[in-house]
Amino acid sequence: MKKSKLLSIITLALMLSMVFAGCTQETPGTPAADFDFDKDITVVARDAASGTRGAFHEIMNIIVKENDTEVDKLVVGALEFDGTDKVITAIEGDKYGIGYISLGSVSERIKAVAVDGVEPTVENVRSGSYSVSRPFLLVTKGTESKLVKDFLKFTESAEGQAITNEMKFIGAIDAPEEYTASGMSGTIKVAGSTSVAPLMEKLQEAYNELNPDVTFETQAQGSSQGIKAAIDGSYDIGMASRELKAEEASELNRYVLAIDGIAVIVNNENPKSDLAADDITNIYIGEITKWNEVK
Amino acid sequence: MQTRQSNFNEIVMQAIFFLSALISVLAVLAICLFLFMRGIPAISEIGFTDFIFNEKWGPVNIPASYGILSMIVGSIYVTAGAIVIGVPIGLMCAIFLSEFCPDNIYKIVKPAVNLLAGIPSIIYGFFGMQVIVPFVRENFGGNGYSILSASIILGIMILPTIISISESSIRAVPESYAEGSYGIGATKEETVFKVMVPAAKSGILTSIILGIGRAIGETMAVVMVAGNAVMPLNKIELLKPIRTLTTNIVTEMSYASGLHESALISTGVVLFVFIIILNASLSLISSKTQRN
Repeated sequence: MKKSKLLSIITLALMLSMVFAGCTQETPGTPAADFDFDKDITVVARDAASGTRGAFHEIMNIIVKENDTEVDKLVVGALEFDGTDKVITAIEGDKYGIGYISLGSVSERIKAVAVDGVEPTVENVRSGSYSVSRPFLLVTKGTESKLVKDFLKFTESAEGQAITNEMKFIGAIDAPEEYTASGMSGTIKVAGSTSVAPLMEKLQEAYNELNPDVTFETQAQGSSQGIKAAIDGSYDIGMASRELKAEEASELNRYVLAIDGIAVIVNNENPKSDLAADDITNIYIGEITKWNEVK
Repeated sequence: MQTRQSNFNEIVMQAIFFLSALISVLAVLAICLFLFMRGIPAISEIGFTDFIFNEKWGPVNIPASYGILSMIVGSIYVTAGAIVIGVPIGLMCAIFLSEFCPDNIYKIVKPAVNLLAGIPSIIYGFFGMQVIVPFVRENFGGNGYSILSASIILGIMILPTIISISESSIRAVPESYAEGSYGIGATKEETVFKVMVPAAKSGILTSIILGIGRAIGETMAVVMVAGNAVMPLNKIELLKPIRTLTTNIVTEMSYASGLHESALISTGVVLFVFIIILNASLSLISSKTQRN
């Protein structure tokens, strides 16, 4: 009985490893060599209420505002994923895909293209020449403890801003002050945008080195969730990767943590490395459906 | 003294057992209450027909529209696909396991099926995204995120349910049925397919309905392979992406607020109604069998 169990586990493991070996063999390929421009573009978007989507669709005029109406013209059949990681995985796996993610999340798994000839770099976002950008906000209810205030001060300090820049985000403070450790203890609860979360994690690590007695509880489920959590007081700090709506702003204190570029990403095998903003918009509203229609 | 003590013990234990029974009932009631209290007002605010029979879902548009018809149809298609793929394979596997399988093969196949049931759905989703989606893209066309991919993944996921329940119901058919069949000169194959399987019909049907329940409620695996696009009804195709009721809730829940959030809970209400219908048909089947 034991032997047969062992045998079955080994068979299964073998089968699984064969499956995975099979897919690693498929991936390599020379860029551009077999890129078929007649194929349909796989349009990848974020889900309806993500901060990245809100910002990107507004900047790229995918959301059309007319009088009192606002309509998101995203092409029918566009894939929608509820996280940056899934967008990256989807683009990495699909030669003909296009997607958008926060600049800080760009890795070698995918390729970030230039928009209207401007590379998505930190310098270009800071100078304003790269047009696809948005603010990263931290919001609090205004009744926060000394500890939370101290952490917020840290994020705006020279040390905090250095980490922000290191993460390829653009620090929003012009002349940041030095931070001195306060030696406080306690718990800070943070919730919100999945785009801000990686930066928040690094900031927390650095803060912990200076103030080892502080613990963090972080939940990243999107800007609206973070804002909601800050308003109802279930979390101390909300992270948002979009501007606050008027009714939200009236209830919250708003700190600009950084400015983030949104990178337009394609598969590494895609020969295009520069897209016109108009073409990107047209891809997302369905006016352009094939790569050979892109300039 | 002795008897009073044991009487007291008995009463206490009875209360504890009763409470345990009560908790599961309370849990169902609490979920119902939560769903309907949050969901029904939203449905009436959106309008029943505008919610159920409208294919336009645009929660961030101004004015917003909250139609879930496309997702209802999506859930039905994906589940039907899972049944088409999962039931024949599962049923044949169950027949093989219960009637034809040599002992040494049984010792490998049965634990493998049980293991299949224990794999978390996120793993299925990851497997689907990395293996099934590229497979569909390369062999069938489209971008791979499609009804077909979701159906394949769900077809695999419902296999253990169908196999285990069908197998045990075929095994539960009395030996005398088979003996009678052999007695009038039937072969092994005739006996299995014309006597044993028909006799196990209600158990097999139960396994299919439980499989449907599993498929229609599955979320994490589907969200990673279906593409989650809200398709107008006339554009739904086998190789195009789709959004189901469950993936609608999971993709947007954490970000939603206000009526958008309530509309997602209402989506849960519709899903709940589907499950109630499934459970009702399940008890219909079992009551029918008992009468027979």
